[in-house]
Amino acid sequence: METKLLTGNQALALGALHAGVRVVTGYPGTPSTEALACLLALEPEGVYVEWSTNEKVALEIAAGASWAGQRALCTMKMSGLNVAYDSLISIAYSGCIGGLVVYVADDPGVHAGMAEQDSRGFALMSDLPMLDPASVEEAYRLMRSAFELSERVGSPVFVRLVGAVAHSQAPVEVEEPAPIPRRKARLVRDIARFTKAGSAICTAQHRDLLARLEKAARVIGEMGLNRLQLASKTGGLGIVASGVTASYLEEGFEIAARFGFERGAVSVLWITAVNPFPTDEVRALLRHSSTILVLEELEPYIEKGICVEARRMGFTGRIVGKLDGPFERVGEYGVEQVVRGIGAALSLPIPDDLFQGSEAAESLAAERPITFCAGCPHRGTFMAINRAIRKAGYKKNEVVVTGDIGCTILGMNPPFHTAWTEVSMGASVGLAQGFVHGGAETPVIATIGDSTFFHAGIPGLINAVQHQVPLTLVILDNGWTSMTGMQVNPGTDETFQRPGDRRVDIAELIPALGVERFFIIDPFDLDEAAATIQKALELPGVKVVLSRQECAIQAMRRGIRAGKVRVIPENCNLCKLCITHTGCPAIGIDEDTIVIDPALCYGCGLCAQVCNREAIERVGESASQRVSESAIERGSEGARE
Amino acid sequence: MSLTSRITHHASRFTHHTSRFTFDILLVGVGGQGVLSIGEIVAEAACRRSIPVNLYPIKGMAQRGGFVKAQVRLGREVTGPNIPQKGADLVIAMERSEALKAVRFVRPGGDFVLFDHVWVPMAVMLGKADYPTPEQVSEQIQEAGGRMHYLAPESLPLYKGVPVPANIFVLGAAVGHTRLADVLSPSDIVQIVQTKWTRSTERNVFAFQAGLEASIQEP
Repeated sequence: METKLLTGNQALALGALHAGVRVVTGYPGTPSTEALACLLALEPEGVYVEWSTNEKVALEIAAGASWAGQRALCTMKMSGLNVAYDSLISIAYSGCIGGLVVYVADDPGVHAGMAEQDSRGFALMSDLPMLDPASVEEAYRLMRSAFELSERVGSPVFVRLVGAVAHSQAPVEVEEPAPIPRRKARLVRDIARFTKAGSAICTAQHRDLLARLEKAARVIGEMGLNRLQLASKTGGLGIVASGVTASYLEEGFEIAARFGFERGAVSVLWITAVNPFPTDEVRALLRHSSTILVLEELEPYIEKGICVEARRMGFTGRIVGKLDGPFERVGEYGVEQVVRGIGAALSLPIPDDLFQGSEAAESLAAERPITFCAGCPHRGTFMAINRAIRKAGYKKNEVVVTGDIGCTILGMNPPFHTAWTEVSMGASVGLAQGFVHGGAETPVIATIGDSTFFHAGIPGLINAVQHQVPLTLVILDNGWTSMTGMQVNPGTDETFQRPGDRRVDIAELIPALGVERFFIIDPFDLDEAAATIQKALELPGVKVVLSRQECAIQAMRRGIRAGKVRVIPENCNLCKLCITHTGCPAIGIDEDTIVIDPALCYGCGLCAQVCNREAIERVGESASQRVSESAIERGSEGARE
Repeated sequence: MSLTSRITHHASRFTHHTSRFTFDILLVGVGGQGVLSIGEIVAEAACRRSIPVNLYPIKGMAQRGGFVKAQVRLGREVTGPNIPQKGADLVIAMERSEALKAVRFVRPGGDFVLFDHVWVPMAVMLGKADYPTPEQVSEQIQEAGGRMHYLAPESLPLYKGVPVPANIFVLGAAVGHTRLADVLSPSDIVQIVQTKWTRSTERNVFAFQAGLEASIQEP
């Protein structure tokens, strides 16, 4: 045993490793990313780990490995589960052979963006068991239970973490992993189980699925994953705490004790296995209590289940939660909900302002909209799009520019104000077509990053080509999956691909999809980039503009800069054009001149290109410019107009 | 006072502390200031003394200049990651405007260390938005019942002619001037700093010591 300070994601990954996982797949997405990333960095012997093209592909690979008899883990954020779900529900019907665990990270409170989706609902819909660890330590410990449960029941098992647990760091007692004998692949052809051809097969699988869920309830009971503690006397308060909310109970009890709460009079049900519904424990709690307090973030799934059992048992006491009580379906829970819930259930005199800090202070804080990093090539692309729209004779609010997931969406923020929409991976391409069919009389532009294009943008583009929808798709290719922390994607330079892996070049892909009007631009060459986009806007049919420069953060980590710029203070009249056009974080203001922070500056030279007083000068030539030229040369071979 | 004697003094105070306690720390600032490193050092120092700890960093979209927050909860065997409003025993704010976002979390009577660095957003730079004054921030902290410890950015000492890392200096100041000293041992922190950054060890230890001894000013 060794105590290590681990994040929830690391704990989960190590737990899987120590449970003998052999295949790990996933797609990056906050707050789940680090789980797979840490296994990738560990390079454990005999374990295959990859970032897949998208979550659906990742899940299919993990399921295939499971059907060959191996233990497999698939990781994703909640939005990724939506992508994988088509395959997941089918896989659920078939069940699994080797243990198959699907790790999904939810983000109550929305710290990373996207929907505040409660993935417990997916476990309900697919009739799959789900474990919801309350802490970092539990995340480690429960992975072994998850694989064991999966194999004993023959069903994929969800493990769900909320962001607060996934990102928390806490000491974990890590066991010395026992060597796990390698399983030989066992290939089973069983069309009644692994296909969906015909009603007889599917309805039989549906019955099997439900039977597995029932078995899961028994196995979970045997494993003691949910814990019920009944008070010595009946008729008191019964508290049900699900997932992370359980970690606030003891603190809440201490605070509530100041207002007359008695810990000994309360029964508690800690729910770690949120699906199947812990019917036996809930019924025992209902029999023992006069009032029930339900603590669960987001959707009232457990609360509704309790209401059903209460009705079946003729329980007439109050059930305090979201349906009849003080709680919201939005945001995270903390100790406040525990204390307020107890106060509401027991009518304790909890002061209104107990957890009410001053909001006046926060209203004085300056807004801090995030923008592209210094040197980000996306800055140049959005500046070029804005200029192209203007030069083509349109006002900015006349041209729809759909945005997409990842760093590229920052084009919606000041000073660009370019992107209009953000929906889901790849959605920019489909939405743009809808705006065209919806009657937009001005050009329609879609913007998407490289990894997002590989993930789910390609089918949308094929659709546009087939139906010849007039639009301009701008692919902002910086060579990395950057927003989630610089993962390698199919388009990442060959040098950074794993030995034996191969790069898929977007510049070769686009013409192969039947795109006839294809351009490659350098986002650091503003005039040329804007002129090319303008030309594309004015042409008929499907146009694709591939904007290429490496992510500046990644390049700078290798000591590469695009160039060097110098401020000539005597020419600067502080017109601030450089700031209002680029919004570059490296530019600041001194007494009589702008200043550029040399530590931040990547030397992209965009500020020099918008300065009309020659107050910013580009100095010398650099390695990166040569890199970009060679990239363009390589791309232009495939380029057609 | 030499570094060694100062640390021994603190360490002896530390070992006398045996009673059960909890201590919640909220750290705020902007990306690039090393806010999360403070959290990691504190968590590591707690681990060394077998003090239960949970560190919950929120990076948002991690980027230089973006809002960064971390919560360190010490002393509870089972603890939720989030500190409630009016619950933080100690707030460490590394940026003036971001400090305001932490005010509602300070416990009345709790310590509030403000390193008054200013990182203006573009709209402020262009004169299109307001930026808080030190007096406004100080007033809000006092209204919330926080005990303010003010560190001007100019107080950042030089080591071999270059300003020391602000985060380690501020951590030193927090250990030297707040009840954090009752929880963590300065000598542990020095050791952690030494192993965390093997290349700039002396600079960081100097920064920490300077923080321990920093004089707290009025804004």
